[in-house]
Amino acid sequence: MADEKPPEDALSDLRRRVNAARGEGAPDTPPPQSPASLAMRYGGEFGAAIIVGALLGYGVDHFVHTSPWGLIAGVALGFGAGVVNVVRVAQSYSRSNPIDPNAPSVPDDEED
Amino acid sequence: MADNPIEQFGIHPIAEFSVAGYDASFTNASLAMVGGAVLAAWFFNWAMKPAAMVPNRAQVVAEGAYGFIHGMLKDAAGTEGVKKFLPFVFTLFLFIFMANMLGMFPGVFGVHHIFTPTSQIVVTAALAMMVFLTVIVVGFAKNGLKFFKLFAPSGVPWYLLLIVTPIEIISFFSRPLSHAVRLWANILAGHILLKVFAGFVPALIAAGGFYGLLSVLPLAMTVMLYGLEFLVAFLQAYVFAILTCIYLNDALHPGH
Repeated sequence: MADEKPPEDALSDLRRRVNAARGEGAPDTPPPQSPASLAMRYGGEFGAAIIVGALLGYGVDHFVHTSPWGLIAGVALGFGAGVVNVVRVAQSYSRSNPIDPNAPSVPDDEED
Repeated sequence: MADNPIEQFGIHPIAEFSVAGYDASFTNASLAMVGGAVLAAWFFNWAMKPAAMVPNRAQVVAEGAYGFIHGMLKDAAGTEGVKKFLPFVFTLFLFIFMANMLGMFPGVFGVHHIFTPTSQIVVTAALAMMVFLTVIVVGFAKNGLKFFKLFAPSGVPWYLLLIVTPIEIISFFSRPLSHAVRLWANILAGHILLKVFAGFVPALIAAGGFYGLLSVLPLAMTVMLYGLEFLVAFLQAYVFAILTCIYLNDALHPGH
């Protein structure tokens, strides 16, 4: 056989056309998050960690009879965990929304 | 006309019965959940029945939804995640999406408002606990004791581990809480807001005269909020699903 190329059937033609049409549209990007939902997310992550930390500390107190030190330590660690949570959310947010390098710089209006 | 904006979240039994002394009545919440699940299952069966090479509109929607979740899971958890968890995540997404969307429809058949199951924290907490337990079970089944690496990030000196490990543990246990509260709070707040603004309309008309003319303003606001709520209904299902993907990734690859 001289011609080794697969036959140009309707299927591959359709695939090419579908791919071409897809390429014109926007790629599959996640929908933009509204600032309010982002704020809710930060608040939720922070608050949830404190509540869970306090509950875990309270549970330790209940079983080991170290009241109130477990609760105090739990709340303190909960605050730490909340900050860690918020930093993680912020990191993933800035990873998915990189800063535009061509964005105009904001002038520093601080008096100094 | 229910004036109380909280009244729409009331649970009313449709068929009362109890199992082993516990009230297990079939309520309006159960009906909305079953309705959402059945509708999603029916739509996908119906849309994919032709399975045509050149899809019709319904098939494009069905395939688009599948591709959307597939891509999301692949980005977050890799090919292995897709192989293991695609049915789980896709079901979760569709169930939450249908529950949210059904709740957007106002009353039919004498019901004031189709119940929105995701406005009850019991429902969202059950969904979040399902994800949380899946992460724990799959994490231990796949990695054994190496799953504990999740609490001890590599490259941290031992004296810092004393602080970092408890923080990581609390952070891990706070996930189901924030996961559940986010969906619940968004839906609850949105529905209360809608009802409050809609309630201004009859109140202003009842005041009569010039106030009656002003009732156009809250009506316009309600229409706009309704559009926003449709976006929230989709977005919250999406956020729930993508966070599920991220958590499931931890079960497959702990310790980084």
